[in-house]
Amino acid sequence: MVRELAEAGVFGVAVPEDQGGLGMGLAAGGVIAEEVGRVIAPEPVVLTIGLSLGLLRRLCPAHPKMAQLIGGEISLAVAWQERGPDGALADATCRYADGKLTGGKAWVVGAIGSLGFLVVAEGDDGPVLVLAEADADGLVIDKRAQADGSSLGELSFSGTPAVELASGGAVPTALAEAVADATALAAAELVGLSERAFEITLDYIKTREQFDKPIGSFQVIQHRAVDLNVICEVAQAGVREALAQMDSETDPKVRAPIASRAKARAVTAAKRITRDAIQLHGAVGYTDEFDIGLYLNRALVLSAWLGDDAYHRRIWFEAREAEGAAQ
Amino acid sequence: MTDWNAISDVEFRKEVRQFFEAEYPEELRHLPHRPKFAEIEHWHRKLHAKGWVAPAWPAEFGGMGLNAAKLLIFYEEQQRWGVNRGRDMGVQMVGPLIIKFGTQEQKDYWLPRILSCEDIWCQGYSEPGAGSDLANLRTRAEIDGDDFVINGQKIWTTMAHDATHIFMLVRTDPDAPKKQQGISFLLAPMNQPGVDVRTITTLSGETEFCEVFFDNARTPRENLVGELNKGWTMAKALLSFERIFIGSPSLAQNALGQLESFARGRGAFDDPVFRDRFAQAALDVEDHAALYARFADQLKRGETLGADVSMLKIWVTECFQRITELMIEAAGPDGGSIGPLQVGNVSVDVLASFYKARPTTIYGGSNEIQRNILSKAVLGLPG
Repeated sequence: MVRELAEAGVFGVAVPEDQGGLGMGLAAGGVIAEEVGRVIAPEPVVLTIGLSLGLLRRLCPAHPKMAQLIGGEISLAVAWQERGPDGALADATCRYADGKLTGGKAWVVGAIGSLGFLVVAEGDDGPVLVLAEADADGLVIDKRAQADGSSLGELSFSGTPAVELASGGAVPTALAEAVADATALAAAELVGLSERAFEITLDYIKTREQFDKPIGSFQVIQHRAVDLNVICEVAQAGVREALAQMDSETDPKVRAPIASRAKARAVTAAKRITRDAIQLHGAVGYTDEFDIGLYLNRALVLSAWLGDDAYHRRIWFEAREAEGAAQ
Repeated sequence: MTDWNAISDVEFRKEVRQFFEAEYPEELRHLPHRPKFAEIEHWHRKLHAKGWVAPAWPAEFGGMGLNAAKLLIFYEEQQRWGVNRGRDMGVQMVGPLIIKFGTQEQKDYWLPRILSCEDIWCQGYSEPGAGSDLANLRTRAEIDGDDFVINGQKIWTTMAHDATHIFMLVRTDPDAPKKQQGISFLLAPMNQPGVDVRTITTLSGETEFCEVFFDNARTPRENLVGELNKGWTMAKALLSFERIFIGSPSLAQNALGQLESFARGRGAFDDPVFRDRFAQAALDVEDHAALYARFADQLKRGETLGADVSMLKIWVTECFQRITELMIEAAGPDGGSIGPLQVGNVSVDVLASFYKARPTTIYGGSNEIQRNILSKAVLGLPG
């Protein structure tokens, strides 16, 4: 499937044409992410379009891995967050010196099956982006099983060899931009997922009969279905608008809260829709015989990744306050 | 005569905005109540002189002849500046119906009088037994010589106590096989012995709504618009374009602005719980506006809106209500106080906003009726 997606140009959609991509922007990437969401595909599409290519095209567009990523020949996981002793997100301490990494990274999507890791670490002269091969010495990958059958990687490096790709202040800036892109694309993936979960549920309530009638003929079911439909449409409109706005904005300070707006909306919608979808399916919705549960499980994982709705509302609000104070 | 559609959207918006900002009286901006005609007569005269009373009507009937895109811009600017719609039942409701279904005599007689507000119209649709189930209406009109004789009762007739004429749906064939059949669209003068108007005081203490009683009231037969017994289809035909306006983001956007300045003045943003709820409401408004823009684009492309446009109304009215509830929360112990609350140099009437939001989920087809429509027409759910 990855090959087919690559042949369709999917991975290069947001990469400028002069860097070998399609140059169609995030809005087009969002349409692809919606499709990925609809089929709850476990492919590293948002990871590649948003994060790995998002980082490389901003920091080292001439790197040979760019073409391989665009061609779907490889995938690279991106590792930047770290877990503190209490298990929560903590300040980064992972070091890069003399060509070797020491420390750990957490919540790494695509850690299994990727050729290597793009790691953001502290070098001797500030932040660096380095590339570590998946089978490098001193790299231990601890898998954490996720609700949707995927896993998140917890990486620990002890003198792991890695190649420096970029350094300096450009690294955190590019990282923030790539994270914003991936956040907005994950929102689009959730929109597609929500739409499909709703369609499956709508089909179900039209065919499932109780009291000699389809349950979709009962007004209480109808009104719930309408509410889900409205939530879905608002989410689609809001997220698509946000992606288009990100394409026309260059200031990272403006783009990040737009991504937060998208993710906040998409998570709120997906949570409600996938949970109600289970309720409207009744007891069979709670079994793994029916596909609908897969949508709930995927929604749980996509919601938690890169921040949930409450987190992004806070980011959005704080940015709005900062902008208000600046004026 | 200006061909407004020939100029760019940007230019048009600029021109409309400049006119409103220069000419609309400051004290009438964002009026919290529906004005009687006398209160806004001065503004109406200006609008009439400018030829801007009826933006949607074709130019040949004295309107601006705006296309859908320009019309949306006109209304957006009107709402943005808090320009009162005035007594626009004639322009919005009865005028378009006469233009579409009326005779040449009816057009010649009524349309100029609507524009000048020589006649002020109210809408006689709802009845005590015909609210959501409007087709159940029972007010009778029977032919007697050259007149119709009207008997029955209308209710929730907005501003009937300040109207000279009523346009109404009446039953002209009580034996029709379906209740949607046998209904006609009739115009009648209010100033006659058989018409009795009583105001209804609402929860907020306003008297915008009336009951109108008809006891052998008369109207000439030539005041029938369209064919006899075809009123239902005609009245419905009018609704499709109007439905986007009832779902416009402006009510919620204005309320959100008020909430923000009030909450800031009261220090409510110090509370992280309030901050999150405000952010939810603000994002609800923003994402609704994105959906509204999608429907507006459809109109601008010249497409007809489907039944799915009802979702705008459901979302925005419920969002409007949540915002006004947050205002009450931010008011704390003042949450039950009538009248404006002063915060710094801002004055916000918290309860007035709250009350204003309540009927929005009831009027224009209650949100439950909207959900029924969406369920059937959009989702295809059975009966």
